[in-house]
Amino acid sequence: MKWTRSRPASLLAVGAASALLLTACGGDGDPEPGANGGGGNDNGGDGEVTLSIAFWGDFGLGPLVEQYEAENEGVTIRLNEGEFNAQHESLQQNLIAGSGAPDIAAIDGDYIVQFREQGDQFVNLLDMGAGDYEGEYLEWKWQQSMTGDGAQIGLGTDVGGLAMCYRHDLFEEAGLPSDRDEVSALWPTWEDFIEVGQEYVEATGDRFIDNATNVFNPIMGQQPVGYFTENEELAMDGGPRVAFDLTTQMIDAGISAGIPAWSDEWNAGFANGDFAVLACPAWMTGHIRNMAPDTAGQWDIADIPGGGGNWGGSWLTIPAQGDNTQAAYDFVEWLIQPEQQIAIFNNVGNLPSQPALYEDPAIQEHTDEFFNNAPTGQIFSATALGLEPQYIGRNAGPVRVEVENVLNDIQGGNVSAEEGWERAVSDAERAAMD
Amino acid sequence: MSTASGRAATDVATAPPGESPGSPAPRKTPTWSERWGRFDHKVVPYLLISPFFILFAVFGLFPLAFNGVVAFRRWSLRNPAADGWAGFDQFTRLIGDDRFWNALGNTFGIFFLSTVPQLFMALIIASLLNRRLRAQSFFRVGILLPYVTPIVASTLVFSQVFGRDYGLANWVLGFLGVTTELGGGIIIDGVDWRATKLTSWIAIALMVNWKWIGYNALLYLAAMQSIPKDVYEAAALDGAGAWTQLWKITVPMIRPMVLFTVVISTINGLQLFTEPMLFDTNPQSASGGTRGQFQTVGVLIYQTGWKNGNLGYAAAMSWALFLIIVVLASFNAFLANKLGGGKR
Repeated sequence: MKWTRSRPASLLAVGAASALLLTACGGDGDPEPGANGGGGNDNGGDGEVTLSIAFWGDFGLGPLVEQYEAENEGVTIRLNEGEFNAQHESLQQNLIAGSGAPDIAAIDGDYIVQFREQGDQFVNLLDMGAGDYEGEYLEWKWQQSMTGDGAQIGLGTDVGGLAMCYRHDLFEEAGLPSDRDEVSALWPTWEDFIEVGQEYVEATGDRFIDNATNVFNPIMGQQPVGYFTENEELAMDGGPRVAFDLTTQMIDAGISAGIPAWSDEWNAGFANGDFAVLACPAWMTGHIRNMAPDTAGQWDIADIPGGGGNWGGSWLTIPAQGDNTQAAYDFVEWLIQPEQQIAIFNNVGNLPSQPALYEDPAIQEHTDEFFNNAPTGQIFSATALGLEPQYIGRNAGPVRVEVENVLNDIQGGNVSAEEGWERAVSDAERAAMD
Repeated sequence: MSTASGRAATDVATAPPGESPGSPAPRKTPTWSERWGRFDHKVVPYLLISPFFILFAVFGLFPLAFNGVVAFRRWSLRNPAADGWAGFDQFTRLIGDDRFWNALGNTFGIFFLSTVPQLFMALIIASLLNRRLRAQSFFRVGILLPYVTPIVASTLVFSQVFGRDYGLANWVLGFLGVTTELGGGIIIDGVDWRATKLTSWIAIALMVNWKWIGYNALLYLAAMQSIPKDVYEAAALDGAGAWTQLWKITVPMIRPMVLFTVVISTINGLQLFTEPMLFDTNPQSASGGTRGQFQTVGVLIYQTGWKNGNLGYAAAMSWALFLIIVVLASFNAFLANKLGGGKR
């Protein structure tokens, strides 16, 4: 019995090694084994189902999820909030890999073309009965998430009709009119806006706008043609050139605080009063509220210079690889019902993309204390109804990132506006190529 | 068919070894304990070391080889329809791609600013620690603390220190009267660390140095402990000062360790990723600053592959980086060997 001594040890080692290998191989397995007992088509509500939903920023889901979980026993909803671009990129990776995608994925307008071209990766919501809701939606919103062969991959959440948020207290201190109608009358065009900004800077010594990219994006949204034509050709000399020139004029005029958007310093800037105006689509109002709760009542909302336009706005989609597509659809269908859409609007300000709701008293009569009792419902629904949305190309997201980088660079004093434009064009061409 | 019959034939030939005509008296069939013993002796050692080799094959060798194949293919996440063999297209594109050369320049710049002071400081610290000191263990353990700090945590802290508007570094520079003018006439205290190549490189090199000086110093210290004391005594008698002793005795005698640290820091320096990635205002963008002023090759590969979704091109870049590292590490090893007067 010479070997007995080492036997338990070796068995242990071999066992451990194989266990390691087994777990390594099985690591990506189904996290909730009981969930798809019905072969992936179980009825939401029966049995235990966990749904993950990936999004960015504030979709106003928190309280609604609690309500849904309480009303539907056995359904657990996991919120997966992440950075805007990263969420879309990881969704793309998961679609290619064939696993790992969330049960419900939010997709923004900048990326919707890229994903609708891969329509077979998503559940066709028309098969689930979503066709009933076609009449409820703004027509273009419904169309943008349709694939070439007539499948519907997403149901619209919000639209980003444009308005201008401003600090009425700071305007008053600077000797400018502070009433929202008078402020709207100050700036019919962006050129007028620049002049008002210069007056403000002279009067206070503070900066007027937060940064260049946050005026560039809304001006882009007002252009009839965006980065790409409908034939997917990059058209930098059209809309992007107009928006770029206006934006660099603002930098030269010295009205921008030059704080990179979505940075910590930008978030701190809301509370510090580092800037007095900010282009705000409906979804931005929630961010201001979250970042600077102490400035409640000091903000107000006026019209944006340069006419109507759209910035942002999203859809909820269901990747086909999920095990619980029916349960996911049930939840999405519940979310787009009027009560929930109005609740989201009231909680975080995201404006629904269903025009019938704009007539609803809950939206028409809604005023927002945070924004000095501005009738946000009327203001934002008016911006959404007048929209003629532009075509957004497949690579619009990456191209926007490149142009934003150049603008930040001009703002940082590292490149001249002229050099910057050349670089913006060549970087955009590169981004459109990949 | 043929294989099956072949196996059967062999079985027939070898099956009853005990009964073959010329064999000695039939051996006793081995007991279970003996069988286990032989198995334990011959097979178990291989099983025990196999996890490393299996893991290495799965997570090291396979990706390396597969990456080599991908480098010659078109593979786009954003446009899955475009695939097929690309030949050398992606390598040709690489040669003409100023972003790659920019990233390579940044990598070398940061590498130079970090590795040289890092190894030099480590050498000085190690020779100080090699003397008789009060609280010796305290200092020896203390210098390793940065090394055990999670790299993401320390980078985030440094990133705050080098913040443009509210950073500690600029607050201090503001006291010293240093100001910078940005576009549109904005004036800030200190400098915009992320705005230019030099300032961003310095900031990143500082993070790298902070982390690795202690680690290298401990390696040097371990090597120095094995140098006989009488060599120093003899040198001191001949009138050699501390500085001369360091360069004429210590460095030549710890040459193998110097060689090791030079090669390791070359590899680490050229693969630099986390610090420049997280130093960015928006760490998710992987653009290494507004015009790639501190984008290293590692970050560029990540951006190309996972942000822009061009996996084929990213694979070609990784292979180019791999070759550059091999060449540079050998060259540095050669240099370091010369430094100590070695003849190998």
